[in-house]
Amino acid sequence: MLVLSRRANQSIVIGTDVIVTVLEVRGDHVRLGIQAPRTVTVHREEVFAEIQRENRSAAAFSGDSLSNLPKPPG
Amino acid sequence: VLVHSERLGDLDVPDDKVLTFPEGLVGFPGDTRFVMIEIEEGASYRWLQSTDDPTLSFLTVIPWPFFPDYEPEVDDVTTQELGLHQPADAIVLCLVTVRDDSPDPVTANLLGPLVINAVSRVGRQVVLAESSYPTRAALVGG
Repeated sequence: MLVLSRRANQSIVIGTDVIVTVLEVRGDHVRLGIQAPRTVTVHREEVFAEIQRENRSAAAFSGDSLSNLPKPPG
Repeated sequence: VLVHSERLGDLDVPDDKVLTFPEGLVGFPGDTRFVMIEIEEGASYRWLQSTDDPTLSFLTVIPWPFFPDYEPEVDDVTTQELGLHQPADAIVLCLVTVRDDSPDPVTANLLGPLVINAVSRVGRQVVLAESSYPTRAALVGG
C-alpha cells in the first residue's frame, strides 16, 4: 500500500481526475473531500463491504424453503 | 433469449424481461445481464437469474407490500444515468436472504436496493449510504 503524509488542506490526485483533500483533522477523526467524475462511485468502505457481504449471502440461498416465504400483510 | 439456470432449469425468456446492470451488483461486477422471473409462491417475489452464469441467481422482493413506509432516496446522478424522471418510471427490488438457522429467517436488503428503469430495463444497485435502512430487514408475513 502506498502511504502518503498530508496535512489539512492538502490533497492527493488519483489518476487524472480524482482528487482527495484532507479538510480537517481532529483527534482520530479525519474529514475528507472527494472530487471525482460522476461516473466514479464513492462509498464508505464499511457500507460497501456490508452490501457486498449481504449480496453474497443472498446468492448462496439454496432455494429449498421457497414455500415458506412470507406473504405480504393485508 | 435462452437462459440456463441451475435453479430454474432452461428458460426461454422474452427479450423484454432481460435487465442490464452495467456495473453488475456489488461484489458481482462481471454479471451484468439478468432475467427477471416471477414465481408462483408469492406475487411480490422475483428471481433474478444471470444470463451468463447458470449458478448465479438472486431472490428479490418488491419492498412496499412489506415495508409501506420505505422511501429510498436515489441520488440525482443515478436517476439521471438511469433516465428516471419520476418514481413511477422505476422498478425497485430488494435482495432477499434466507437463513434457516436465524430468528429472522427471511430478510430483505433495504440499504442496497436494485433500481431499474422500467422502460429501458437498465438498473443499478444503489447504496443508500446516508440512510439508516438495514441490510437485513425481517420479512414478516400477514
